[in-house]
Amino acid sequence: MQLIARGILAENPIFKLALSMCPAVGISTTVMNGFMLGVAVLFVQVFSSMTISIFKNVIHPRIRIPTYTLTIATWVTVIDLVLAAYLPDAYAKMGIFVKIIVAFAIITMRLEMFACKETVKDSFWDALGMGLGFMVGMMVIGFVRELLGSGAVMGYDVLGFKPLLFFILPSAGFFVVGLMMGFFNWIELYYKRKKGVK
Amino acid sequence: MKDIITIVVRLTVSCLLAASVMGIFFILTSNAKKHNEHVKEQQVMFELLGYKGEAKPPASLGLHEVYRYVITGNDKQSIGFLAPKGGEGHGEGEGFLLVNIDLNGQLIKADPVTLSEKDAIEAEPRKKAVEQAVGPGYEVKFADQTIIVTDNGKRIAYLVGGKFQGFKTFVHVMLAVDPNFTILGLEVLEHEEDPGLGAEIDQDYFKNQFKGKPFEALKAIGVVKAPIPPEYLEALNGKVGEEEILKFREQYKDKDVYALTGATISTKAVADGVKGIVTKFAYRMAVLDKVLKEQQLAVSF
Repeated sequence: MQLIARGILAENPIFKLALSMCPAVGISTTVMNGFMLGVAVLFVQVFSSMTISIFKNVIHPRIRIPTYTLTIATWVTVIDLVLAAYLPDAYAKMGIFVKIIVAFAIITMRLEMFACKETVKDSFWDALGMGLGFMVGMMVIGFVRELLGSGAVMGYDVLGFKPLLFFILPSAGFFVVGLMMGFFNWIELYYKRKKGVK
Repeated sequence: MKDIITIVVRLTVSCLLAASVMGIFFILTSNAKKHNEHVKEQQVMFELLGYKGEAKPPASLGLHEVYRYVITGNDKQSIGFLAPKGGEGHGEGEGFLLVNIDLNGQLIKADPVTLSEKDAIEAEPRKKAVEQAVGPGYEVKFADQTIIVTDNGKRIAYLVGGKFQGFKTFVHVMLAVDPNFTILGLEVLEHEEDPGLGAEIDQDYFKNQFKGKPFEALKAIGVVKAPIPPEYLEALNGKVGEEEILKFREQYKDKDVYALTGATISTKAVADGVKGIVTKFAYRMAVLDKVLKEQQLAVSF
């Protein structure tokens, strides 16, 4: 449980670890995009972490990175195939995003830092936490950008006008991520201070 | 040295493992994927014919696929049309007829081809069957396929696929035309035009401009570099009633299409491409029909 919470808050991949910024900036233009990529990353992360954790004793330490890449690529391909076969509508929208998950830093980093040392059970929870953290991060950024960029939430027009078209462009992703990072740090500081006072 | 061997062995083993996992999943999902593509294709076809959403196609509707092959011999070339056999009984799955027509529009010969419905969908077995029917010494090359739509045995439309050069790469489209070659609908299946500019060719308001264009007007179709009049745009986007849309379609049916802002080349490519596909198809269909009629060949459409 703690591992999940850590993935979402204390070590949130996007806001705290500042990993996988490419997708965070490029794809999170709407809540739905963020959610779908988040789900795909969650699955790849969980499967890869568990695989590496199971085989951690037989992986030669010198060639662990190629092995990780191979593992991730395998699971990405599997998810790509499964999505194309059973969820063609969703695949039409996110097909291109799924393939680039192979190169996401967050997944390799979790394999290197966690899965290759810990038990399968812990790896599973850690991967779940990190995946959820990534998903939540993507959705929060997506929410802000969709609301400000196209005046909509989840594809429904709520504002009726487009306040800042700039926000759906990739460069605005950096602004949103930066502001979010500040916000998360501020919350953390706030809680720490509160504890300190008590 | 020992390290090298262990590394090589372990990496090879992991690659093999990964490959087998991927292979297993590929085999498990390939059928579903093929099925999806087929369903999507069918959906596009029916949408082009006007059966969208709730409207279901009637049972009397028949789809007859005609495959066109280019047959090259030693010194001559001919066109082979592989059409489903018909005639007495009108039963399905009676096999196919390969109508071999030379370049002057004269029948060379017509051979029956035994091919099951299921095999006909697959490119490889279909080609083999055609090669067998033509005999040795000829090279057979698949050109395109057309679907002839009938309702109670009467032809109501043709579905023609095709591709043409767009601004960047090929644009794949499917067209529905009625027996007089008036366009019933245009669907852009695949394209790589620029997002926001040329990519607008897959928007309804652009595609609908082609709807209802008669063959005569299409032969001389051009592109107007002007903004679409607002009322017409509303009608193209389907925001007004059915009658209004038909009124506008009638009004604009002989006019050129309006260019997309910033994408004149893409627009022109689509207009020319559609023109080319329909005129060539009309010619081929006339040749095939003439031969079928003259020789009293029975086909299912």
